Amino acid sequence: MRHKLFASILLLWLLVSVFGPLLPLTPDQIDLPNILAGPGIEHLLGNDELGRPVLDRLIMGAQTSFLVAIWVVAISAVCGTMLGAFAAYSGGIMDLLLVRIIDVFLAFPGILLAIALAGVMGPGIDNVIIALSIVGWVGYARLARAQVLSLKHRDHISAAIALGQGRIPIVRKHLLPLIAAPLIIEATFGVAGIVIAEAGLSFLGLGVQPPAASWGSMIRDGARYMLVAPHLVLAPGACIMLVVLSINLLGDNLRDRLDVRIG
Amino acid sequence: MNCIRYLLLSICLVLVLSACSSDAPDGVIRMGLTTAPTNLDPRFATDAVSSRINRLIYRRLVEFDATGMPVPSIASWTQVTPTHYRFTLQDQGRSYHHKKQLFAEDVKATFDSILDPATGSPHRSTVEVIQRIATQGNSQVDFYLKHPDSLFPGYLSIGILPADLIMQGHPFSTKPVGSGPFSFHSWPQEGVLRLTRIRDNRQFEFLPVPDPSVRILKLLRGEIDMLQNDLPPELLSYLAGKTGVSIQQRPGNNFSYLGFNLQDRFTSQPDIRRAIAHGIDREAIIRHFLKDGAKPAQALLPPHHWAGAKGLKPYRFDQQLARELLQQAGFSRQSPLRLVYKTSTDPFRVRLATLIQSQLSQIGIEMEVNSHDWGTFYSDVKAGRFQLYSLAWVGVKTPDIFRYVFHSASVPPGGANRGRYSSKVVDSIIDQAESSADFTHKALHYQQLQKQLLADLPYIPLWYEDHIFVSRDTITGYNLAADGNYDGLAQVQLNNQ
Repeated sequence: MRHKLFASILLLWLLVSVFGPLLPLTPDQIDLPNILAGPGIEHLLGNDELGRPVLDRLIMGAQTSFLVAIWVVAISAVCGTMLGAFAAYSGGIMDLLLVRIIDVFLAFPGILLAIALAGVMGPGIDNVIIALSIVGWVGYARLARAQVLSLKHRDHISAAIALGQGRIPIVRKHLLPLIAAPLIIEATFGVAGIVIAEAGLSFLGLGVQPPAASWGSMIRDGARYMLVAPHLVLAPGACIMLVVLSINLLGDNLRDRLDVRIG
Repeated sequence: MNCIRYLLLSICLVLVLSACSSDAPDGVIRMGLTTAPTNLDPRFATDAVSSRINRLIYRRLVEFDATGMPVPSIASWTQVTPTHYRFTLQDQGRSYHHKKQLFAEDVKATFDSILDPATGSPHRSTVEVIQRIATQGNSQVDFYLKHPDSLFPGYLSIGILPADLIMQGHPFSTKPVGSGPFSFHSWPQEGVLRLTRIRDNRQFEFLPVPDPSVRILKLLRGEIDMLQNDLPPELLSYLAGKTGVSIQQRPGNNFSYLGFNLQDRFTSQPDIRRAIAHGIDREAIIRHFLKDGAKPAQALLPPHHWAGAKGLKPYRFDQQLARELLQQAGFSRQSPLRLVYKTSTDPFRVRLATLIQSQLSQIGIEMEVNSHDWGTFYSDVKAGRFQLYSLAWVGVKTPDIFRYVFHSASVPPGGANRGRYSSKVVDSIIDQAESSADFTHKALHYQQLQKQLLADLPYIPLWYEDHIFVSRDTITGYNLAADGNYDGLAQVQLNNQ
């Protein structure tokens, strides 16, 4: 029952993100006489500090969060896994180099590095994706490396080498399928982390640029009006909380299901 | 075991709640500031908060009246020749906080120090016209100028420091010593400054509270007694409905504008600038967005300034005319004009940019808003890396600002002509105004200049923001100044203790 509820929330997030742009929404329609108007029949979640409908902007913000999360997780997972797996399989100087690079990245707080990168590259959602991907690949690389190190001396790998298979086919066909489960779980939690990171960067003004909406920028803009219009912060805040909570709990569940020790 | 837990929890709760107590009746008057003062040495202070606090600690030779005319502060003056001014120190306000008297030698030492390139004072360019300074006894100072400048007395509104401490290299920036109505008490922790009002030994504390909501909550809880400006208009409406709080509001001189890059291939075209001016509905912005907390501006100086221009015709909001002007410039709905509007990450500025973006989209301009941190934004503006930007001029007193902002020789770093505006007509009017000795003629030149600037539109004048002062009812006697200074603290009273 509980899992169905969280799955429904994620499904709603997905549907709103994909089909939101097809709805007759007016997220950027400024309506000065309705500045900070409270929730009502016409606008269910009220209006923001420029009189724009909060619900419409929430839907567009969902799309921003979704796109950033999917892109960053995809880029980070692919790059990180490839680098980690090949370095671990090859060993030697390549592996050593990767470990040192990972150490350097891990020694620096990830979100701070993302803020610095987004600040250097300039504001914008594309730069947020790049900045978060540059920070995000490390976790996947470390995990893939550790998994490959534990698998590369197995008999089926030795057999593949004896049969003359190259490095790439071995990693692709014989190693990646075996390390997929922990990587999928890492990616699940990664999505939750990216949703929060994007909101954080947008909150700092490094994410989407006006008039585009994101949950983080909505919180930033609404924080100044907490005393008179708390709905500006509560609505996107609740969305972030629900999405992240759902992803984390479903991720936990997925981990339990894929864990051979529990199964 | 559980009893011990509950006991510990209760003790923690009591401790936490006592730490959150409000209304500290210690007789200290507390003022909430947006930012902390950064430098209490008037030779170096450039930010508004530091300058306003320095006015409390130091006295100046010259003040300004309501029309921006220089008037005597601690010294009166006579113009001996066009290049020679004689200032005579008055008897009042000449006691330094370290028990010495303010003499002519202190005035000379202060301005000599500012003029010394080794000091590195950012105000050096303001008084660079001084050739030499001579003292006559204890109360008379002669300023000899490099060339005639009838605005000269207005440049001497910088606080006077004691000569003996200047000689000793005293750290005025953190331990100020002046002769003003307030003396430095302490700077006990980062940002929190304490001053003592000399006449009654009352202590004042200045606390930086950047977030306006937190500032208001602190005021309502009694953690601060007053605050001034930098409040979203909606929060002001919220405060108006609260008991125990009083609000003062008065028209201000801070000039908000939209700046163009005159070297950009689009914004250099007069028709495009005029189209933008006609496409912005300033009245609606002032009424709804600023909640009537501003007055429309047509020029940098307000009309009541002695050099201000009255009766300038505003660009009326006319979307049809704006579209026609854009069409003349070769743009239409099919091939719209695309511009980039740069602004800081300050929420108010971003909100304003979004609003202007929306209004201009209705006349067919596709505007991209780029918000950058203050450092990046300001360096881009100075370097001319922009098409449009918005900022405000704060604390403008003398019309020499026109040379600094609009003369073709004032492109940064030599001035603040950030839009690279170049007009021989305007240069000539500025030169004529400056060379005119008679203030009536000077005012006429400056009025003509502002009319020309409104026609050329290197800036689109937006509005003059009102000043707002909010205090608890226990605070009385504060007079809100037209330039937003804190001089009213000299009279303010804390009642009902």
